[in-house]
Amino acid sequence: MASNSEARAGIYGDTFLAGLWRENPVLRLLLGMCPTLAVTAAVKPAFTMGCCVIFVLVCSNIIVSLMRNLLKPHLRILMFTLTISTFVTIADLFLKAYVPRMSEMLGPYVPLIIVNCIIICRAEACASKNGLAVSVIDAIGMGVGFTLTLCVLAGVRELLATGAIFEIQILALQKEGGWFVAWAAMGMPVGAFLTLGLMLGLVNIISKGRT
Amino acid sequence: MHTLNILIMGFISIVIVNNLVFTKFLGICPYLGVSGRIDMAFGMGMAVTFVVTLSGTLTWLIDHLILMPYGLEVTRYVCFILVIAGAVQLVEMYIRRFFPSLYDSFGIFLPLITTNCAILGLCLFINLYGIDNLVEAVVLSFGAGIGFTMAICIMAGIRETLDMADVPACLKGAPITLITAGLLALAFMGFAGMIRIG
Amino acid sequence: MGKVKHFFEQSWLLIVASFCFGLLIAVTNAALSERIEQNRINKRNNLAKGLLPDANNFVPLDVAVEVMSIMGKKELAEIYEATSEDVRVGWIFNAAGSGFQGKIELVVAADADFKELAGFDCIASNETPGIGDLIKEDDFRKQFEGAPAEKLKLVSSGEPTKIDSEIVAISGATVSSGAVVEIIGHYLVQVKQQLQAKGLIEDGK
Repeated sequence: MASNSEARAGIYGDTFLAGLWRENPVLRLLLGMCPTLAVTAAVKPAFTMGCCVIFVLVCSNIIVSLMRNLLKPHLRILMFTLTISTFVTIADLFLKAYVPRMSEMLGPYVPLIIVNCIIICRAEACASKNGLAVSVIDAIGMGVGFTLTLCVLAGVRELLATGAIFEIQILALQKEGGWFVAWAAMGMPVGAFLTLGLMLGLVNIISKGRT
Repeated sequence: MHTLNILIMGFISIVIVNNLVFTKFLGICPYLGVSGRIDMAFGMGMAVTFVVTLSGTLTWLIDHLILMPYGLEVTRYVCFILVIAGAVQLVEMYIRRFFPSLYDSFGIFLPLITTNCAILGLCLFINLYGIDNLVEAVVLSFGAGIGFTMAICIMAGIRETLDMADVPACLKGAPITLITAGLLALAFMGFAGMIRIG
Repeated sequence: MGKVKHFFEQSWLLIVASFCFGLLIAVTNAALSERIEQNRINKRNNLAKGLLPDANNFVPLDVAVEVMSIMGKKELAEIYEATSEDVRVGWIFNAAGSGFQGKIELVVAADADFKELAGFDCIASNETPGIGDLIKEDDFRKQFEGAPAEKLKLVSSGEPTKIDSEIVAISGATVSSGAVVEIIGHYLVQVKQQLQAKGLIEDGK
């Protein structure tokens, strides 16, 4: 009995950690690129986006996992999209009501969570095959992995573009008498593509060093 | 004359100046996945153009004829994604039934298109720009598809040559593609602000 | 009959789920819509208050005023009368148009007689950070405070501190500054004319 629950705890822990690094959705599976690039000009919107994705991912995984035995194969994708879009609408309403500033900054990228491949991929690959507990833990692991990646990327970009992180000035800007010249390009599309490209390269080096 | 002017400007604007891939980051996933070979990229681009024109038009109609008059804007996202999923299914069935050869060449891309952000993104942007006539919505949707095709073909062309280049081992594959895309985005920024829509 | 039965067998889950999800959205919307609307009003009022510090109340104009947008489409203008203890201290109106990247939405304030601008503020914009974004900064906005309420002109060089109808562009962000000048001028002239025509403010001549 004890070994059984221990083994189960091991599976849960493993599922959770997989999302953080080994199967990190952005860095390893290359999923959900659009929001990764679009909302990472600053940490705050990136973090908000990550939270929304966690919420939608957990909710949709719960629903999909609960009705996995009732799903008809050819209506499966339709059910997934229906579930996901419902929760995205709810997340959008909550953002508008409680953090209107973030809602404006994220704009159309909130509804675009619907077509974020991570969510539909987890529904298909995990929730429709596994029980409730594994699905939820998988969703949280993936969601946290996504959020962390987004925040790191946004941190680098925000620091270089404005000399601040979380809107707190860290590097003294030159126009205010400091030494740091802000790289405006980092806040633009170019910065997003370049930073993510270099980040993926770095991840490749690290993972190669390990094996 | 004035209307025609707006249409032409809108078209050029969405194809070049406000290209969905380079300025709005939409449709990056297939952009990275499929853009390995130029003929595949073109097939994908055409399939997207077709679906985006259809669903852009349909969502505009639904938005203006059903959702707005009855104050159902809150269900907009759900309706949009269902329309897109439906349009993709319809297109797939239609092509398989009547153009089997066409189906063979780009049928495999069709299921992928449902989760292509460029399509839902465009439907949302049409709504955001406040486009209020049907012709303009159709032209913009079509332009978005062309813009996507252009971006993905340029990328595929570069990647075909890139295969022969000596890229550092750790940057091979996706990283160098992203960096290339970054430089392309920089080039497209030169167009920014030339034509303004809204 | 068999066909109908088959249809329901296949899709009952979809139908039930759509119904439940619809209900869920409706409930959330009912619970939150008031707050969302209030957020919008608060935001505009806060911006407006920054422009007209004397005002403590913003009353929507009760007559419909139609204006042409920059793209030549008819739309209803959002105009508010700013009052302080029931005395009019100024006007607030919304203006929108496209900037360097996407839409710029502005709230513009003018004095009680619509002779001078009291300034503008950004409701929403998507300008390049560090360049076009500077339209939100005081250095640029100060030029509009006290500028005559007429068609404004963008100049590339001049003295920004001099208050007149010439607005000095932010260097490197001519498109963004130009867009602001164009949007404000475009709406300003129309709103002024309409208000004069409706007898709400005196005709300048």
